[in-house]
Amino acid sequence: MEFIDYYKTLELDKSATKADIKKAYRKLARKYHPDLNPDDESAKKRFQQLNEANEVLSDPDKRKKYDEYGKDWQHADQFEQQKQQRSHERGGFGGFGGGQGQSYSGNFDNDNFSDFFEQMFGGGARARGTGRSPQYKGQDFNAELQLNLSDVYTSHKQTLTVNGKNIRLTIPAGVENEQTIKISGHGGPGAQGGPKGDLYITFKIANNTQFKREKENLYNTVELDFYTALLGGEITADTFDGKVKLTIKPETQNGTKVKLKGKGFTKYKKEGEMGDLYITYNVKVPTNLTSKEKELYTELQKLRS
Amino acid sequence: MNLDELIATEELCERYSVEHTFIRSLNNSGLLEVITVEKTEYVHCDKMAEFEKMLRLHYDLEINLEGLEAIKHLLDRLSNLKEENVNLRNRLGLYE
Repeated sequence: MEFIDYYKTLELDKSATKADIKKAYRKLARKYHPDLNPDDESAKKRFQQLNEANEVLSDPDKRKKYDEYGKDWQHADQFEQQKQQRSHERGGFGGFGGGQGQSYSGNFDNDNFSDFFEQMFGGGARARGTGRSPQYKGQDFNAELQLNLSDVYTSHKQTLTVNGKNIRLTIPAGVENEQTIKISGHGGPGAQGGPKGDLYITFKIANNTQFKREKENLYNTVELDFYTALLGGEITADTFDGKVKLTIKPETQNGTKVKLKGKGFTKYKKEGEMGDLYITYNVKVPTNLTSKEKELYTELQKLRS
Repeated sequence: MNLDELIATEELCERYSVEHTFIRSLNNSGLLEVITVEKTEYVHCDKMAEFEKMLRLHYDLEINLEGLEAIKHLLDRLSNLKEENVNLRNRLGLYE
């Protein structure tokens, strides 16, 4: 466990007055407050450090103890016991008073003070709130779920373990990569009887298919042999859930795009409704021509010129 | 409108220890939608997270109403840009 320099955390020096501490804390809290830095884990962590530093430095007793023992904090309790013993012998008084610091409220994991803090001041040493004692909603949890594209073609049920609890939820078909959904009431417990927080799940969808996807539409490239492109014909192409027969018009150009209506991906929250599949033809020109073939193509060329 | 999904502003004031004028000010600034049903004012439960955020910023960071408006505007823009960024990154997959 490492020593934490609370003065450094608040960008202050040791001579800072109570007003300096308040000012520095307010300034930095406004910069790193999680409400102002949504989804920013580093800001959240920094905010927790600020709260902890403020908790210690704004409380004269805690600050005194911190200043007195500094890097020898691990022996603070030992020193304290000896000191108390001495003061009892002299008929004096020792020990530490209750906290007076105020840390900002909200569901930001304020309870996650460092081991250093817990070790030096104990678990019950922190002062809470800003004078109001509101019922706050519990902490929101965030989780990531890795899925394959083929997994979200249809809705399915899945059991997730979040903070040791099993949650069975329906993964809606058509959900997108990086999309976040909210599961109400599956977050942390509320403060002072407030409601539970929510669980936010962000989907990370890996494409395990040959298709490219944009929302409900799919894209694919199909190789077309030269003669079918030139004279027309029939080919079989893959769709997401099977195969289809396609009629190729004579003289189909390379890069021609066709739309297969309703053969795309499932529309989000509209199961049964499908997007479209766009197929691009990639015409393959024959290679390794024989001398006979070359001769015939040259003749054809002459016909065209 | 389902009344079960509405929370009376009176209850909010009690629960969060805030003045009713604060809720009224948020409503007047367009930061919080207040719904009146039979002369009782309510806030929809979906708006609670936003309400709590405004509460924290106002009381904890001492940000005034004008500041809250500016912050809301910028956070909304940030959220839209993030969404646009995700959509563009997903589209980029088409060309990779």
